[in-house]
Amino acid sequence: MSPSSLWPTELRLSKDKSSLTVSFEDGAPYTLQAEYLRVRSPSAEVQGHSPEQRVTVGGKRAVKITNLEPVGNYAVRITFDDGHNTGLYSWSYLRVLGAKNDERWAEYLAELAEKGLSR
Amino acid sequence: MFASASLCEAMTMAVETRNADQACLTRANHPLQFSRDGKSPRLSNVSEPMSSPITKDDIINALRRVKGPDLDDNIVDLGLVSEVVLANRKVYFSITVAADRAEELEPLRQAAERVVGDLDGVDQASAVLTAERDPGQSPPAPMQTSVPRPTPPSPPPMGGNGQQPRTQKAGVPGVKHIIAVASGKGGVGKSTTSVNLALGFQANGLTTGILDADIYGPSMPRLLGITGRPQPVQGNILRPLEGYGLKVMSMGFLVDEGTPVIWRGPMVMSALTQMLREVLWGELDVLVVDMPPGTGDAQLTMAQQVPLSGAIIVSTPQDLALIDARKGLNMFRQVDVPVLGIVENMSYFVCPSCGERSEIFGHGGARIEAGKLGVPFLGEVPLHMEIREKSDAGQPIVAITPDSPNAQAYRGIAVRAWERLESEAVGGRAAPRIVIE
Repeated sequence: MSPSSLWPTELRLSKDKSSLTVSFEDGAPYTLQAEYLRVRSPSAEVQGHSPEQRVTVGGKRAVKITNLEPVGNYAVRITFDDGHNTGLYSWSYLRVLGAKNDERWAEYLAELAEKGLSR
Repeated sequence: MFASASLCEAMTMAVETRNADQACLTRANHPLQFSRDGKSPRLSNVSEPMSSPITKDDIINALRRVKGPDLDDNIVDLGLVSEVVLANRKVYFSITVAADRAEELEPLRQAAERVVGDLDGVDQASAVLTAERDPGQSPPAPMQTSVPRPTPPSPPPMGGNGQQPRTQKAGVPGVKHIIAVASGKGGVGKSTTSVNLALGFQANGLTTGILDADIYGPSMPRLLGITGRPQPVQGNILRPLEGYGLKVMSMGFLVDEGTPVIWRGPMVMSALTQMLREVLWGELDVLVVDMPPGTGDAQLTMAQQVPLSGAIIVSTPQDLALIDARKGLNMFRQVDVPVLGIVENMSYFVCPSCGERSEIFGHGGARIEAGKLGVPFLGEVPLHMEIREKSDAGQPIVAITPDSPNAQAYRGIAVRAWERLESEAVGGRAAPRIVIE
């Protein structure tokens, strides 16, 4: 059995700590903004325990990444400068975030508008 | 016991929004504590007699006797002591130090703990070192970290820069492969398989250790016929015991047989981490981890703490056991731990008097299941009186009669597991490099 087929080779945190570039084996690098990663954190704080429980997080425009920590074989724990560090970003989740960046981001902006929140 | 012993973890878990730059660098109080004479570890056991109350001011005053990191002034006036928490005659506080000096300042932490612990009216003092960084600043050097898996058969794809990983999580130094022996349910012979598999690896010329991760039901002392207590070598590092040439660590060495370990999850996680990391394993080709049954805290801790090289699932041929085995398998898949294969234990029964073979649980179930699930089948071990008797007597069959057919079965499994471990499919993937510009 082979593990998840989408395996990253490098996670690179930008100098200004505001974006993470994830390179995958198949050569596709994705640059993910810290704000995007933060508001779409896979943690239960953000996702709840079912889709209806998902929280829309606002006001993270200036959030920075302060640390990256590998978790076993499958994920990375991202620590943000607002103290959030409970999200374990699995390789496949990072891939989804990367591949659907535009779509997910537009969704987020729509959610913000709907709930009267701001970035 | 719970509140003090894993204070650090408890805080980390409960206060999820705590300042991210305050890392718990040192666990103040380990579940596996050392007695005052520093000789042998014991479980902490806190009694609570009543006497005159003590105030926070008394504690602060006592702490003024502790000199600062550079031996000038004291830690209180240098502003290094955090808010002191006093609860139930137990005292908690933290000392702020530079991140890169945490290790060097361990004696300072101990001194502070001792000063407070010796006060009348204090049963227990716990000091934690915290590292404070200016959130606006980048974390201290090394700026670039590469995180190699412990098992790279080939150089990492992007060419690692050879630096030591900064975080603790990557691997156990000196240990090439860590493999978990697991099952979905109990009673399928996981521990017996673990021991004989470890001995099988050893018989095949590999330096091997075994970690008994079953905190609640440790069985390694009995299966290997080892008694004794692991001695601390330096600080909190324990020297593992040895049996039949295997380095062995088990909760069973730290509590008496018959004494139950009644712990909640965070204590188990902490004890496991210690038994994995704070043990002088030395250079090992493979560390076999005998997992507790199920898919809970212990399994998750193992999967998250270290990059496991692989997992072996033990099952009986019975359908019921196979359902549970499938759960175990899927758990490892979710955390991207390669499954090396399935072992069918209690495969068939050979009558000791007439030699007739009875397939009590049905036969070949695990092989078929492995085929269905797309995992290799590593081999089958019969339900044989000799294996059971020798195991219970602390004389594992692979060590005592290495050439017997039953021992050969285990050795064959060890060979196939090792081949899988070294193969491209399993070992070829290095963890991604983490680069902080």
